[in-house]
Amino acid sequence: MQKSMKLLLRISSILVLVLSSCVTNTVVKDYATVPLEKTFFEVPYFSDPAFDYVYKANITVYGKELTGIFIAKKINDTTHRVVFTTEFGNKLLDFEISETDFKVNSIVDELNRKMLINTLVSDFRLLLRSHYVIKKQLDNNENTVYLTEQGKMFNYLFISKSANTLSKIVHSSKRKEKINLFFSSENNIFATKIIIQHITMPLKIELNYFNEHAN
Amino acid sequence: MSDNEITVFKQSVALVSKKIKTLSTDFVQYKHLDFLSKDIETSGKMVFKEPNSLLWQYKKPYSYSIIFKNGKILINDEGKKSAVDIGNSKLFGKINKLIVGSVSGDLFDDKEFSISYFKNKDQNVTKFIPKDTALKKYIKQIELTFGKEDATVVQVKLMESSEDYTRIVLKNKVINAKVDEASFTN
Repeated sequence: MQKSMKLLLRISSILVLVLSSCVTNTVVKDYATVPLEKTFFEVPYFSDPAFDYVYKANITVYGKELTGIFIAKKINDTTHRVVFTTEFGNKLLDFEISETDFKVNSIVDELNRKMLINTLVSDFRLLLRSHYVIKKQLDNNENTVYLTEQGKMFNYLFISKSANTLSKIVHSSKRKEKINLFFSSENNIFATKIIIQHITMPLKIELNYFNEHAN
Repeated sequence: MSDNEITVFKQSVALVSKKIKTLSTDFVQYKHLDFLSKDIETSGKMVFKEPNSLLWQYKKPYSYSIIFKNGKILINDEGKKSAVDIGNSKLFGKINKLIVGSVSGDLFDDKEFSISYFKNKDQNVTKFIPKDTALKKYIKQIELTFGKEDATVVQVKLMESSEDYTRIVLKNKVINAKVDEASFTN
């Protein structure tokens, strides 16, 4: 009896392991894997060092809203400077971010919380990253999807077939979506509208391109 | 400026700012960040009515307005309205006074600022360094430029550091025209 019990336990634990490893997120549920067309993908949206990327920003966090101006600029091959100011121009935060490092040049006391800084840095890193190594390619009628790895996490890059632009990035663990980034771009040079939507916490960052010559 | 010039200048500014019951002006704001290739430009209008109603409204490139009135801040962000009760917040009181004072020129409070005076051919320039530690965190120095002819402010420069500042150029200023109370509703 004891022996059969042990066997049963062993079988069930193996079963759990097998089943759980089969469980994947539903990001690319209706997509078919296709052969890789290329091994790298370059995101153009924040990659030009001659360009000042300036956006009106609306941040909703835990039901509270914070608005201001989001500014990003590529200052060398690896690093972006990111500044968030009020509409009046007061600097609220000033970061330098690369894929492996970050530096806080300044931050106002009200925002100086470790968890908030870490969240913003990882969001901005995802937003500003330009170079991806493609591990897998998937396809359906609307999009081509490039699966890329980031440590233990995955980034799914959705390329709209009709516009031929990057329209979405899903940042995900093996089982769970964490962050969705939505891009609208008319020229594939910069994005006119960006939404960073967290799935696991109530945080949404909306950026609208700042056209100084708009009416 | 010599001591005598400072006295004459302060008197002429005080005379003008004392007469101000209402003030409306257009403005262009240039945000200078040293690492950017050009300044970020926004523009709009500002309306003030005694004793302390203030509208600061951006029209380009987006629509965003902030109203200070009776201890409240009313915000309208592209039609999305919100209100913040600031009650007796000393800091906001100071910010309100600072904005109005910057535009009217009535900022010569030695208790609040260390003040220095400069002149060139057409303009007088005053530099104010806040003494309040809370205010000092946001603004290192305020520089007001006055036209010599009418002793009113033509430019406000808010310095965050030596490299980064906000420069606001005032134009089409109208003093003591009738201002409707409705200007200060959200």
